[in-house]
Amino acid sequence: MEDRLYDLIFICMPTTPEEEITKIVGTLEQTASEHGGKVEKVEKWGTRKMAYRVAKQREGFYVYLALHSKQGDLIKELERRLKVSDAVIKYMTVRLDEEIKRQQKLVAHREHRARRRPRKTAPSPVAGPGPGPAPAPEQAPAS
Amino acid sequence: MSEQQSVPRPSGPSGGPREGRPSGPGGGGPPRRGKRQYFRKKKVCRFCVEKVDFIDYKKVEMLQPFVQERGKILPRRMTGTCSKHQRWLGVAVKRARNIALLPFATEL
Repeated sequence: MEDRLYDLIFICMPTTPEEEITKIVGTLEQTASEHGGKVEKVEKWGTRKMAYRVAKQREGFYVYLALHSKQGDLIKELERRLKVSDAVIKYMTVRLDEEIKRQQKLVAHREHRARRRPRKTAPSPVAGPGPGPAPAPEQAPAS
Repeated sequence: MSEQQSVPRPSGPSGGPREGRPSGPGGGGPPRRGKRQYFRKKKVCRFCVEKVDFIDYKKVEMLQPFVQERGKILPRRMTGTCSKHQRWLGVAVKRARNIALLPFATEL
């Protein structure tokens, strides 16, 4: 089976000590490797306010994982572990590889068009660079 | 509308405003409008301008302008988002709601 990319976010009780969260992440990483997957990235977003109350809490400790997996059983197992764990109050897994594939296709398409365009307007090179540099500095909000 | 009446009308009581009309076409000129015309600036899809290929549900600050205070997704006609990006946006907002980054509906 092809390699799939998932996003896994889970929320812990805000009272959980840091080392317990690290322990949960550790077990998840271990389960992932046992099932032929790999955790690519771990981000602890820290305690933040939730948009609505979950388990009578208004705040939660967010942890984000990006992982690769070749089999769906891994996700089943990870979610089972999160469900069993007392500290975790909410979790969500999203499969993203198909969207990333679509995104790459769009980027490739645009690059292809960009490459083709100058040839079309070759007789008048003035028109080419005109609209180009305007939208460049728009990508500021990355955080 | 009162401004329109203040336009000079010297013909007086003879036949009302219609009287001056037949001589009008000779002089030509565009018809004067009482109301000012509004030209609404065409809204452009913000994601198309920035060439966004993937709307990330994790970036709450990016989704927030497209969500009402009570948590509703704003319609396209308000934000000017194109159909394609509105679809992606809807998916992203719904994912964000699922993990409590955005509200389904605000409490109280």
